Amino acid sequence: MSAARPIPNVIPPAPAHVRRNRAMLIAGIAVLVALFILAIATMSLPTWSRVASGLQRNALPLLRGLVRPETKVLELAWNSMVVTFFMAILGTALGALLAFPLSFIAAGNLLGGTRWALPGKSLLVAVRTFPEIVLAVIFVAAAGPGPTAGIMAMGIHSIGYLGKVFSDVIEGIDQGPMEAIRAAGGNQLHTFLFAVVPQVLPEFASNVLYRFEINLRSAAVLGMVGAGGIGLPLIQRLQFRRWAEVSMFLIVIVAFIVVVDALSSRIRRRLV
Amino acid sequence: MTETVGPAVGHIAFEDVEVVYKTGLKALKGVTLSIPKGQFVVVVGLSGAGKSTLIRTVNNLVTPSSGRVVVEGVDITHARGQALRAARSDIGMIFQTFNLVKRSSVIRNVLSGRLGDLPAWRGVLSAFPKADQAYAHDCLARVGIPEKAYVRADALSGGQQQRVGIARALAQRPSVMLADEPVASLDPPTSHAVMSDLKRIAREDGITTIVNLHFIDMARDYADRIIGMRDGVVVFDGTPQEATDAAFEEIYGRPIDDKDLRGA
Amino acid sequence: MPDQAAALPRATGRVKSFVTLALVAALFVVAFGQTKFNLGALFTGASDFFRFFGRLTPDLTALPQIWPPLLQTIQIAYVATIIGAVIAIPLVFLASANTAVDPVSMWLARTLLTVLRSIPDLLWAALFVAVLGLGALPGVVALTLFSIGVLAKLGSETVESIDPGPLEALKAVGAGRNRTIVFAVVPQIAATMVSYMLYVFEINVRASVVIGFVGAGGIGVLLQTYMNFFDYPGLGALILVIFIVVLAIDGLSVWARSRLI
Repeated sequence: MSAARPIPNVIPPAPAHVRRNRAMLIAGIAVLVALFILAIATMSLPTWSRVASGLQRNALPLLRGLVRPETKVLELAWNSMVVTFFMAILGTALGALLAFPLSFIAAGNLLGGTRWALPGKSLLVAVRTFPEIVLAVIFVAAAGPGPTAGIMAMGIHSIGYLGKVFSDVIEGIDQGPMEAIRAAGGNQLHTFLFAVVPQVLPEFASNVLYRFEINLRSAAVLGMVGAGGIGLPLIQRLQFRRWAEVSMFLIVIVAFIVVVDALSSRIRRRLV
Repeated sequence: MTETVGPAVGHIAFEDVEVVYKTGLKALKGVTLSIPKGQFVVVVGLSGAGKSTLIRTVNNLVTPSSGRVVVEGVDITHARGQALRAARSDIGMIFQTFNLVKRSSVIRNVLSGRLGDLPAWRGVLSAFPKADQAYAHDCLARVGIPEKAYVRADALSGGQQQRVGIARALAQRPSVMLADEPVASLDPPTSHAVMSDLKRIAREDGITTIVNLHFIDMARDYADRIIGMRDGVVVFDGTPQEATDAAFEEIYGRPIDDKDLRGA
Repeated sequence: MPDQAAALPRATGRVKSFVTLALVAALFVVAFGQTKFNLGALFTGASDFFRFFGRLTPDLTALPQIWPPLLQTIQIAYVATIIGAVIAIPLVFLASANTAVDPVSMWLARTLLTVLRSIPDLLWAALFVAVLGLGALPGVVALTLFSIGVLAKLGSETVESIDPGPLEALKAVGAGRNRTIVFAVVPQIAATMVSYMLYVFEINVRASVVIGFVGAGGIGVLLQTYMNFFDYPGLGALILVIFIVVLAIDGLSVWARSRLI
């Protein structure tokens, strides 16, 4: 019954499309690798000996400093980080405030109709593409150095992201409740307040919080160009290679951001 | 080069096997069974009776809290690491939901059955020996779908996917085959086709097979021996002839009805 | 009775939202105090802002000066994405609960990734400029680290959401961990991971435009020079080019990603 079966030692050839896909995959990887090598070869990297001598000079003091954070600057770092935190709050709030009306225009399904949707969307894309740090430099020149410049830069830049996600949310809303309120004799304002706002609010809030997490990171570096917050005292210490103090600053930044991220993502989970 | 597959020498012994899950649920309450080489065993019982747990103690996907399972003279319950993997590579398994890698080709899924016996580097690089590749294609031929080798697994029908599952298990050259509700996701005609394929292959290769089923008629049609479970205990152990409707009502603890039959 | 029952939860809901509102209001009061935010600057700032843009008539003769640093910007982003991806892949499997080796190494990997992600890209760049000196190298290292953090995080979320069936099947086959990953996990995540790599490349292009501000190479160096010298026509051309390049790469990446899934 269980007689030995001979097994043919032939492998059917793979069909042409399988072999073609395999070849394309290999070719694709080869192109990526070739581009990689080309990029490295042509991008004017320093010679290895220069890197090595730089490392020799800096690596040991760096490591020594990193493991022994200077507690004398803890208070300064903490206070700067608190300012940074509030910069991020105001920057995000400003961005949300400005993005709110824009997003209804860009959505095109509620206000103004589709005529303004495309220009609205393009404006949002343009804002998003414009580097935040350049905005910060402009506002530092205009409003003087300090948190105000950073808040303005974050506020303007956040419009791009928030306007985009807000308008996506608006485009996805259920039109049923709006019809119901119109049918009950409600005017435009009633429809907006009772049918649109309740639908979009949780998602808006969740995205604002997410943007806040991003802005907190931005706020931590905008000071490097004078726009307030922890960036300025940090980059001064970096320039003078005071590694132990840098270490303290890094610890404060990482700890602060990790805690805020955790809190924010917990609130976001409860919102949506 | 021509390879041959001789008769397998499977033999499974459950020795007072108990399983208590972390939730405190007692899934098996002392099961002792001996299954001779080449037997085709069908385990029946309601869902929650412990069938799935029982079958998974054979390849140690579930580790008994006490007692042990011996497969081909190897105490698999206490095997770890390389020894456990070696023991598992001798035991094929097919699943209710097929558990194929849907985005991979059929032949790659079948070849993955060879991974247990292969040196790790060959597996990681997918460098299968020619003989293994030929064998995988042969397994596919034996379940009747040789032409599907280079099709993506998710493009197949349910019955075809389960055949790939059988081919993958078969590619292990197992002496034991486990099947956990292999036809529960299939329609009646396909169920019968898949079960007869499974039975035929088990016969041809002399593979000891344990199949979980909850359809009474299918159990009677295909089993050499029927084991009935209820609340983690073996309550019936006999031939299909002995498994009368009354016996099934005892196993299920309720009158049997149409839902317990797959039909033709 | 039913009236009372209905009124109760509403009342607590109102108290809750009142408390939330009060907290948020207090937060803003403190924020204004801490940052000394000058509301008036909003308007003077806005007018300066528009005046700034009014001056940005692009001077296209600046273009030849722009190409080399622009190319370097893209090179930095590309190299960092590739190296980041290569390093991120093993970390993805170490940090995912269903493919991790053991709880200790999983925790270590996750902590490392959290730290990598919580330091902003510009800060990484400033750090490595201080260590390695000015140029593209600190930029590459900074963006590599940042890419690892983002990619490995997204990747391990993907790995943890795969169909567990094939994992069980390959465990039953007796395949080891690495073989199981190659056969059961990689096919399930490959398309998503490539899409995330493209996404990270997008982020890296945007980031490598500005890391020059702290001396880490790329077009940001030129951007800063133009701004320091108030070279508005040059700045106009530069910003225009950045716009086109970033939008083109975004568009390409979105198109490629839409074809992947």
